[in-house]
Amino acid sequence: METILQQLLIGLTNGMVFALIALGYTMVYGILELINFAHGDLFMLASFLALTLVGLLGLQSAGPATLVPALLLIVVVCAVFAAALNWTVDRLVYKPLRNAPKLAPLVSAIGVSFIFQNLGLFWGAIPLDVFGGGGAAAAPKAFPNLISNANLLGEESTLRITPKDIVVIASSLVVMAALYVFVRHSRLGKAMRATAQNPTAARLMGIDVDRVIGATFVIGGALAGFAAVIYGLYINTVNYQIGYQNGLFAFTAAVLGGIGNIPGAVLGGLVIGLVRAFSDQFIGAQWQPAVLFGMLILILVFRPSGLLGAHSREKV
Amino acid sequence: MKRRRPRFEVIALAVLLVYPFLPILDIAVEAATGSALRLDRQLVNIFIFAILALGLNLQVGYAGLLQLGIAAFFAIGAFSTGILTVEKYPFQIGFWGALVAAPAVAGLAGLALGAPTIRLRGDYLAIVTLGFGEVVRVVILNLENITDGPRGLNPIPGPWLPPWLGAAMGGSDTTGRVTFLTMYYVALLLLATLVVVFRNLERSRLGRSFVALREDELVSACMGLNPARTKLIAFSIGAAIAGLAGALYATNLTTTAEPNTYDFTYSIMVLCCLIIGGLGSLRGVLLGALVLLGFDNVVSPLLTRLIQGAGGGGTGNVLLTFSNWRWLIFGMALVLMMRLRPEGLWPSSRVEAEMRHEEARV
Amino acid sequence: MTSRTLFLAACLFALGGCGGGSGGGGGASGGNAKPVKIVSSLPRTGSANAQTTTMVNGIRMAIDEAGGKVGELTIVYEDWDDASAKKGDWDPEVEAANADRAVKDANIMAYIGTYNSGAAKISMPVLNRAGLVMISPANTYMGLTKPGLGEPNEPDVYRPSGKINYFRVVPADDIQGRVAAEWIHSMGGKSAYVLDDRGLYGKGIADVFAATCEELGIGVLGREGIDPKAQEYRSLMTKVKQLDPDWVYFGGTTQSNAGQIAKDLIAVGLRSKFMVPDGCFEQAFIQAAGAENLNERAHVTFGGVPPEQLTGKGAEFVQRYREKYGKDPEAYAVYGYVAGQVALDAIARVGKKDREAIRAAVAQTHQADGALGTWQFDENGDTTMKIMSGNIVRDGEFKFVTILGQAAVGS
Repeated sequence: METILQQLLIGLTNGMVFALIALGYTMVYGILELINFAHGDLFMLASFLALTLVGLLGLQSAGPATLVPALLLIVVVCAVFAAALNWTVDRLVYKPLRNAPKLAPLVSAIGVSFIFQNLGLFWGAIPLDVFGGGGAAAAPKAFPNLISNANLLGEESTLRITPKDIVVIASSLVVMAALYVFVRHSRLGKAMRATAQNPTAARLMGIDVDRVIGATFVIGGALAGFAAVIYGLYINTVNYQIGYQNGLFAFTAAVLGGIGNIPGAVLGGLVIGLVRAFSDQFIGAQWQPAVLFGMLILILVFRPSGLLGAHSREKV
Repeated sequence: MKRRRPRFEVIALAVLLVYPFLPILDIAVEAATGSALRLDRQLVNIFIFAILALGLNLQVGYAGLLQLGIAAFFAIGAFSTGILTVEKYPFQIGFWGALVAAPAVAGLAGLALGAPTIRLRGDYLAIVTLGFGEVVRVVILNLENITDGPRGLNPIPGPWLPPWLGAAMGGSDTTGRVTFLTMYYVALLLLATLVVVFRNLERSRLGRSFVALREDELVSACMGLNPARTKLIAFSIGAAIAGLAGALYATNLTTTAEPNTYDFTYSIMVLCCLIIGGLGSLRGVLLGALVLLGFDNVVSPLLTRLIQGAGGGGTGNVLLTFSNWRWLIFGMALVLMMRLRPEGLWPSSRVEAEMRHEEARV
Repeated sequence: MTSRTLFLAACLFALGGCGGGSGGGGGASGGNAKPVKIVSSLPRTGSANAQTTTMVNGIRMAIDEAGGKVGELTIVYEDWDDASAKKGDWDPEVEAANADRAVKDANIMAYIGTYNSGAAKISMPVLNRAGLVMISPANTYMGLTKPGLGEPNEPDVYRPSGKINYFRVVPADDIQGRVAAEWIHSMGGKSAYVLDDRGLYGKGIADVFAATCEELGIGVLGREGIDPKAQEYRSLMTKVKQLDPDWVYFGGTTQSNAGQIAKDLIAVGLRSKFMVPDGCFEQAFIQAAGAENLNERAHVTFGGVPPEQLTGKGAEFVQRYREKYGKDPEAYAVYGYVAGQVALDAIARVGKKDREAIRAAVAQTHQADGALGTWQFDENGDTTMKIMSGNIVRDGEFKFVTILGQAAVGS
């Protein structure tokens, strides 16, 4: 029984991280119908920034008093960085292709993804202590264990809940709730929803569609930046390929939930996290990708718009 | 209308037919740099890759399906060939048998995957094909009783030749030249045949229904086309062609290689090859295959050797090692291409018209 | 095609070509006669770059120490990459192409490669038919040389000409997997959970390890593969934790996520000790896992003695490497060095460009008191040096613990 609970916890926590990244994918898709392949790698760059800051601020040896404000600072910096980078890439790369056939921005996104990966490779070569002295650019780096890994239920308990889990779940919930409130009730949020529904009508209503698109990239980027810090604190790894790995699952989560659908992305992320955990437990770790994607295919066959997806509008 | 001149394809075919015996580029490069180019060997790989790209082109370029998992069908073709020809199993139908069987198996797999999913919206189909690619890779990797897992199935026997033909080509095969020549010509002729078939396809009824589908699916359905069926045909045949490429690939390497070779990154690379060359354009696909494999397998090793010969620095600094810049350069090339020439390096006139038309709108 | 298109195509070619070359300095290239070439085919693009750089440095050192000359012959070294950007790792096509190129170039007398056993499978038959000697500083898959341990037709399938042209200076995995299990047995371990990365090397050595465990009576509580691309393994580790093994063995490398396995092992509160093979014997592994996760817990087996334990010529090698390259050699550097020496030594004994003679000469190699001690090649092309070392991570570094397996016999 405890095993099931444990796997449930692990699945949910991982799922939160996937969900945060998936939100970025789904928001951009909702507005532009663009699969932003580079989103996962944006997240990766933000995690490199997070690790760099941790190293520069010397947080490995800091006490809780300095740790909390420092982490908040890092979250803010990473979110701003990722938001700014995302927005810039949109202005430079995707905006000129607004009227091009769909494949053009998609391929550009793939190109940007490659560029980001290469930048991550170089970033990892910087001779900082946190990067292991820059010896091996391509090797994974360990993110220091800043949040305790002690079992809150006592070291003898078989069920293991650690402060890490709490931090990840709590902060993710807060951020997602904030996003929900924003999208539901703020002016910009309403404008985003309107643009996602029908850009032409939104324009007719006086919404500056261009600004809305920019704002979407900013928010998506900020979410990725936040996710990067959480990821570092929880998984303790930074590596130039985590964008590819996580991006794939996050994108799958977004599609699973119904791409363009914000609660869907969260649901998709959680489902993926849970399936991974239980597949490892009962089937075997070597089958994990097959189980995951097999399930995805089955779900899409029976629910072609994803779990929460609405039917796509017919072009007449 | 374009003026008729000797077709590029005919000239290219003529050159390629005699290349193993008259390797002009190799001779030139070797004379100039003292380093062996071995383009003739690489040409086999380029032919195989081009066949694979043609399969994807049918799915993406003609039928407009976003396919992110072509490597799965490639793998199915390769491993079918492996299972059906290695000594470990009793089938041993030989290379020529595999050339028929592998595409059949891959085509059936395409049919099986496509039938329930072809109606999905474009981006959902993309993720389904991506997922299928991963599932196939992992299944092949884990079912090691059948596929030998990471070891791959080997050795895959070379093509059987009737003795008179083998003797005519060069006698006993201690240098592997006979096998090489056979693979070269088989791949070249298959590629040429496919090119001819596709050329005719473009003018045929099926080809025109693809165009109609791409232009407006709803209207095509109103005009009596069955979009789902047409797409499924394209999907299955494209998968079969990819399977054929897989059979050639495995025989050429004499092994199916590790299953991890056939992953999502590989699928993306084939897609990029199409994009660079020009989606839906036959010449573009061939050019894209040449460019992609050309610089990866031919030009860069050559340049590496030249740089080393000239005494380039050998430090451990990651920024000074050129191979670490490859992804960046490739990414920039993609971005720039989409800005400057999204229709590809050598688009078909129709696709070019479609792209320009869309840009003119709004 | 418009001229603009041609220009773009040319740019792509050029850029791609520029992107493909890797920097490298060759040996001296002078003299009247065409020089003798030694080439290496290693994955220089991608995550293996750190290990292969250290091997290439070792080879270069060997050649520089010989002054770039052997008798009258000038030696030129070329560092070839068997990886491709499109794969980000070694590529079967590129390896096959390298082998072909080496065969065709009549100046090439020795082929040092490969790093990945899967790549060796591809080039071995090609080189064998041409009689070009192949010396590997890193392949450990047993089936490449040892009959009966791999596929039924191995290793004959790699020797179509019937002669042996493939030699390796590292002990193979059948030894390493075995001594790992013996070491655990000697430390009193009673149970182990065996994981691997589903790669040729990782799975091969994990299989040997598991088989030896069963022989020795160590309970194998589980045998599973991981997805090296997954971001974390807590759920897997939770499953392992329920079985509470004494040891967890992971057959894999730093690149296939060994560091993450170690981290997640600790994160779920598993108390087991952890053992990995030589694919993790590099500083990058400690960095990836975080030293505090490995200290006193992670054990590593390695074919041969680690650099700082080398005595005599080996210690001199380490010293010279430090001076020349400004940092300590990683574990595989000495294998590159010795491989280079083997090639040079055979060429010296033959004295001319004769592939068959050089091949036969390599088979007769007998190193006495070299950087790896005293050893020779056996009838399969394997080294008689069967020393393995057991190392532990302590204070964020690898510390030698004990010699495993038998020591090399003199003759």
